[in-house]
Amino acid sequence: MDLVRDVLDKQVIDREQVKIGKVDGLVAELRPGKPPRIVAIELGSIALARRLGARPGRWMAGLSARLGGKRHSEPHRIAWNKVRDIGIDIEVDIDVRETAIFCWQNWLRDHVVSRIPGAG
Amino acid sequence: MKKVLEISLGVVTSVGGFLEVGSLTTAVQAGAAFHFQLIWAIVLGTICIVFLVEMAGRFAAVSHHTIADGIRERFGFNAFLWPLLAVLLVNLLVMSAEIGGVAIALELATGIGFHWWALLVALLAWVFLWKGTFGFIEKGVSMLGLVTLCFVVGAVMLKPGWGQVAAGAILTVPDHDATNYWFMAVSILGASISPYLFMFYSSGAIEDRWDESYLGANRAIAAMGMSFGGTISVSVLIVAALVLAPHRIDQVYDYHQLPLILFPIFGFWGFVLFIASLGIACFGAVLEVGLQQAYLVAQGFGWTWGEDQKPRDNPGFSTVYTVALFLSALPIAAGVDPLKLTIFSMALTAASLPLSVIPFLFLMNDKRYVGKHRNGMISNAAVIFVIALGFVLAIVTIPLQIFGGT
Repeated sequence: MDLVRDVLDKQVIDREQVKIGKVDGLVAELRPGKPPRIVAIELGSIALARRLGARPGRWMAGLSARLGGKRHSEPHRIAWNKVRDIGIDIEVDIDVRETAIFCWQNWLRDHVVSRIPGAG
Repeated sequence: MKKVLEISLGVVTSVGGFLEVGSLTTAVQAGAAFHFQLIWAIVLGTICIVFLVEMAGRFAAVSHHTIADGIRERFGFNAFLWPLLAVLLVNLLVMSAEIGGVAIALELATGIGFHWWALLVALLAWVFLWKGTFGFIEKGVSMLGLVTLCFVVGAVMLKPGWGQVAAGAILTVPDHDATNYWFMAVSILGASISPYLFMFYSSGAIEDRWDESYLGANRAIAAMGMSFGGTISVSVLIVAALVLAPHRIDQVYDYHQLPLILFPIFGFWGFVLFIASLGIACFGAVLEVGLQQAYLVAQGFGWTWGEDQKPRDNPGFSTVYTVALFLSALPIAAGVDPLKLTIFSMALTAASLPLSVIPFLFLMNDKRYVGKHRNGMISNAAVIFVIALGFVLAIVTIPLQIFGGT
C-alpha cells in the first residue's frame, strides 16, 4: 500500500461515524536496515502547518499553545493500531469526545453558537 | 416514476437557480452594447457548465467524494490550498455581488438606498441557513426562482428575428469597442461557469446520498436544467437588445436602468416582475454561495458538514457561513457599486477557473475515483477549450478594463 497516496489527506471518522478531520500528517518510525513503519496519524492545524514548512509549523504550535493551553502544543495523534478500516474514509477505533480534537468546536458551541437563538 | 419525479424536480431547481446577478447583468449589458452578437458566449458557457455539472454529479455518485474532498485527497493539502483560497475569494466577491443584487431590488421597490439593505439581506439569508434544511433551500427557493422565466416570455413576445438570434450564437469579431466586447465575453463566461455551481452540486449529491443508480438522472438534470437555464440568460440578452436599442441606450452602467427592460413588454407589471426576478434569483444565489463557502472549508479540513444538522451539532460549519455572509455584506454596506462589483467578480471568476477545474478534470480521469465512469475525450476537450478561452481572455482584458483601455 502506498501510504502517502492512500492514507494522507483522507477523511477520518471515529467509531460513532463522526467526521473528525483529515489525515493531516503521518508519523513513521525509522528502523535501521528495515523499511520505516507508520506508527500514528496526525490531525489538526499544527500538523497541517508543518507541511507548509518548519516556520509555519512553529508559529501554529505557538498559537495553539497560547489559545488552548499546553495540551494543544502538539498535533493530535492517533496510534496506527487504532485504524480499523481504510475505504472512502479512514475509520479509527476511538471516540472523538475522549480526545482534545474537538476542543475548539466545543468552545465555539458553548460560547458562541448556543447563545444564538435557534441553534437547536 | 420516482426517478421521473426526481429528474423533473432537479431540472426545475436548476432552472430556478440558474439566473443570478452575474448572468442577468452581463446579459443585459451585452444585449445593450452588442445586440445579439455575444449570444455565443452564453451558449459556450452553458455547454461548459452542462459538462461540469454532469461531471460533479457523476463524481459524487460514483466516488462518494465531494470535489473538495477529492482534490485534497488526490493532490495533498499544499496543492489543495490554491484552489481553496481562490474559490473562497471568488465566492466572497460573488456573494457580495448577489447581496448587492437583492439590495438593488429592494432599493428599486422602496426607494431606500441599497447600502442600507446589505446587512439586512445578509441577516435574512443567515436565518434561512441557520433554521432551514438542505431540501428547503435547494427546492423551495429555486421554485420561487422560476419567476425568472418571465424573461423567456418577454423575449418571445418581442418576436426577435430568430435567424439573427441564431447568427449571434456563432463567434464573431466585433466592428467596434473590441476591448469591451471581449471583456463582456469573459464576464459572461465567468457568470455562466461559476465554481460554486458545480461544487455545490457535488455537495448536494452527497447530501442526497446519490449512488451509481443516479447517473442517468444526473445526466438528464445537468443537460436539461443547465440548458433551460442558459435559455433564460439568452432571453435576457434578447430583451435587453430589443428594448434598449430603440432608446439608444448602448451602455448599462447604472442599475436604475435595469428594470426598464421589461417595462415596454409588461407595463407596470414588468417593473414588478423585474424586481421580483432580481431579488429572488440573487437571494437564492446568496444562500447557495453561503452554503458552498461552509461546505468548502468543512470538507477541506474534514469537519462535520451538512445543512440538515442543527447549528449546535455543527459549530464549525455554521460559523463559516455566518462569518462569510457578514464579510460579503460589508462592501455593499460601504456603498460599493453592485453593478461594477458584479462585472468585476464575474471576470475574476473566469480567470480563476483553471485553479478549480483543472484538478477536477484530473479526478474525472482517475480510475481510482470514477472507475469505468471516466470522462470521455469530448467532455475533456470541451471543458478545457472553454476554460482556456475564458482564462486567456480574462488575463488580457481585465488589466485593459481596469487601466482604461478602449
